[in-house]
Amino acid sequence: MTTGLVFDREFLLHEQSPTHPERRERLSYTIDQLREEGLFCHPRIRLVPPDRATREQVERVHHSEYISFLSEASRTGGFIDFDTLVPKGLLDSALLAAGGAIRAGISVWTGECANAFALVRPPGHHARAGTGAGFCYVNNMAVMVRQLQHEGAKKILILDWDAHHGDGTQSIFYEDPSVLFLSVHQRPLYPGSGDIDEIGEGAGRGYTVNVPVPPGTGDESYYHIFESVIAPLAEEFAPDLVAISAGQDVHFTDPIAGLAVTARGYAEMVSRAVALSERICHGRVVAVLEGGYSVEGGLPYTNLGIIAALAGLSLENLREPAMYQDLLLRASDPSAHERVCRTVEKLQGLLSPHWECFSESPGR
Amino acid sequence: MLMGMDIGGTNTDIAFVDGEITSEKVPNTAGIDAALCHVSRRGRLAVSTSTPLNRILAQECPKVVTILIPGMGLVHGDGVRGAVNHCGDIVEDIDRNEVDRFLRENPADAVAIAGKFSVRNPALEIAAAECARRYYPEERIAQSHTLSVLDFPARVGTTRLNAGIRDEVFRLYSLLGTKRKDYLFFRGDGGLTTPENALRDPSVLLHSSSAAVALGAHYLTGLSGCLAVDIGGTTTDLVPVEEGMPLIRELAFNGERTVTRCVEAEALPYGGDSVITDRLLPRREGNALAFGGRLPTLTDALNRIGYEIGDSGTSISLDRQRAEDVVGEYCSMVAAAVARYDQERIVGCGFLAPFLVPEIARRAKKSFTLPIHGASANAVGVAVSRVSLSLHAHFDGLRGRVVLNGEVGRIERVGDDDELVAFCTGELRRRALAAGAHPRDLDDIRLIHCTSFDVIRGSYRRYRIADIVVQVAPGITAEAR
Repeated sequence: MTTGLVFDREFLLHEQSPTHPERRERLSYTIDQLREEGLFCHPRIRLVPPDRATREQVERVHHSEYISFLSEASRTGGFIDFDTLVPKGLLDSALLAAGGAIRAGISVWTGECANAFALVRPPGHHARAGTGAGFCYVNNMAVMVRQLQHEGAKKILILDWDAHHGDGTQSIFYEDPSVLFLSVHQRPLYPGSGDIDEIGEGAGRGYTVNVPVPPGTGDESYYHIFESVIAPLAEEFAPDLVAISAGQDVHFTDPIAGLAVTARGYAEMVSRAVALSERICHGRVVAVLEGGYSVEGGLPYTNLGIIAALAGLSLENLREPAMYQDLLLRASDPSAHERVCRTVEKLQGLLSPHWECFSESPGR
Repeated sequence: MLMGMDIGGTNTDIAFVDGEITSEKVPNTAGIDAALCHVSRRGRLAVSTSTPLNRILAQECPKVVTILIPGMGLVHGDGVRGAVNHCGDIVEDIDRNEVDRFLRENPADAVAIAGKFSVRNPALEIAAAECARRYYPEERIAQSHTLSVLDFPARVGTTRLNAGIRDEVFRLYSLLGTKRKDYLFFRGDGGLTTPENALRDPSVLLHSSSAAVALGAHYLTGLSGCLAVDIGGTTTDLVPVEEGMPLIRELAFNGERTVTRCVEAEALPYGGDSVITDRLLPRREGNALAFGGRLPTLTDALNRIGYEIGDSGTSISLDRQRAEDVVGEYCSMVAAAVARYDQERIVGCGFLAPFLVPEIARRAKKSFTLPIHGASANAVGVAVSRVSLSLHAHFDGLRGRVVLNGEVGRIERVGDDDELVAFCTGELRRRALAAGAHPRDLDDIRLIHCTSFDVIRGSYRRYRIADIVVQVAPGITAEAR
């Protein structure tokens, strides 16, 4: 079985401005790294070309009026917020990114690939049903999830570990018990949401889970969150597929977030997600690129780490250049882990009425 | 005058194309010098050779040790310290003592040196090569950065291959260089390259004889689709031809990928010099009895069943029944291989083709053609090929550097992709004309590869890095049409 890699050179075309952090170099450096590693010719990797998402697919998530606005603004150029300008031709780029996520999801759902990574941009997890925000226009992850449900998937787990809270995705599925949305993110940080008491509403109560972590949080804390929150919830929810909103601004070199995760730590998280999915949903994992703005010291290594972990390749040599070690020391906060442990305990208590796995939690 | 020379394991074929075709065959026992004496001093000389490939087929490659500088990322085997990143920055230096210790503890006949991202900055490979020169002569050291392609595992495979054959190519280079400076090597993908480029990447010469046969078969018969069956002294090569050109594939070596592209060809390890004991062996031990050798061969078997090749009387020591059996066995084996191809017509090439190809075709149920000068189809193919040089260009705005086919130069400014492609196309045109290309052949210059990215410093795009490969499309030169 192979790992699908969704990429198209058209993903490099979108640009808000030459100095905007959501820049094409986020992918161009990575593509060179992958090419030099020989991954495009690796027997365990299959390059999967994306198709543009259709309006029907996108409107399963977004309001028709919003898509019409994007269409109109894409002709002339437009504005959503100061972080999220609409450059000419944006809708084509956004639909290709959403289509890339769909293609990755379908390739796994149909068994064409064991798992997949959609190396798409622009990202999507801040986009809500009626508006874009935070560099995002179309919620690629949500569009993929709705398409998979259209194809027959019943329950999907979204694991969003971008440094920024995935507020758009959360709002789309906030009342939906067929999707367990689980976000680990830095707080305080844009967009400011994602506290532990945001747990869903109505039928969806208990199906939104937020783990805010303080600046300086590193690998050890992420492993702890994985084992004490993500894994037990995933086992109890028993989804048909695990979808990862793979934001990589948790990396310690990221210029607009303050976390301290290493490339090896990141790859290890994906490796655990793969092992988890093998236990609960036949190994079906789809990762979709979200944020991550360290074009030189972070993304080439974290993206490589995701692919290596998905494909079951050795992670032994996955690391940043030694020259970045000082940056890691500066980014890390040794006190963060204890605070993360306290948050986890409190969260387990809050969720205990909804999840059997936390019924004996000390924070209950 | 177009001249082609194919140096095989047994003979050197020479062809002259100048309105009409003439060809000659010179036994290698007389030496390359003797073959070169037949070559005119005027006109374009192109040379193909199967001797590096024969060394591989005979499993006579020297033992190669590999110094890997894998840096960060995926595991590609044990390596030494040192790392270059995608921008070409040295982010971890090499430890020369570690390299020296590795070389002392791992003695071999030749050394391959390959570093990740060395095509972006070769400094670490060059430093390792300096250490290696204490133990190995230059012609037994191969480095990966000269391959100019991003794909570390494939560069490792190619560099190991190059380490194993570089001294053989160096030997040819030195021999030919004593007689002529202005010649070109014929590549395994049907193009031509300069001797200096062949030394940097000897793997491009592998299967060049097969590529030459494909062009020669097409040129001599006018058939755009056929299967060339080239019966040489050491091997019998099957080369499919489509639209007048051989099919091209990625070369693999010892189960590893390489960056080298070469003709799609099947080499059966039997030829006119294959030795006969109780049966035909996939081994050459000198010439046939009929050509002064010590042991009976397939050529002697043909003499025993009625042909008169060379000094045919000397083949008498071979039992006639055994000769019939061996010829039948050879024809069946080749016919079985030929039958697997879709091409309806086979073109017989090589000195023994007239004696064997009709029977091979009958057994394979194919039609056949035996062109005049088919015995030297390889040399004809080399002679009529275009000067299809390629140019591998790396532009590094950060260091103000341009690397063209491994030669480092300066550049003031790295422009956009269109400007760079135009620059490369112009430079390739200039080099091809200087190497003797016909101007009309340069109408078809192809962009093989183009990638670029901007280096970001402090949120701004500061420099551009680009890699571009352009090539004059291989084929038959307008001068020969």
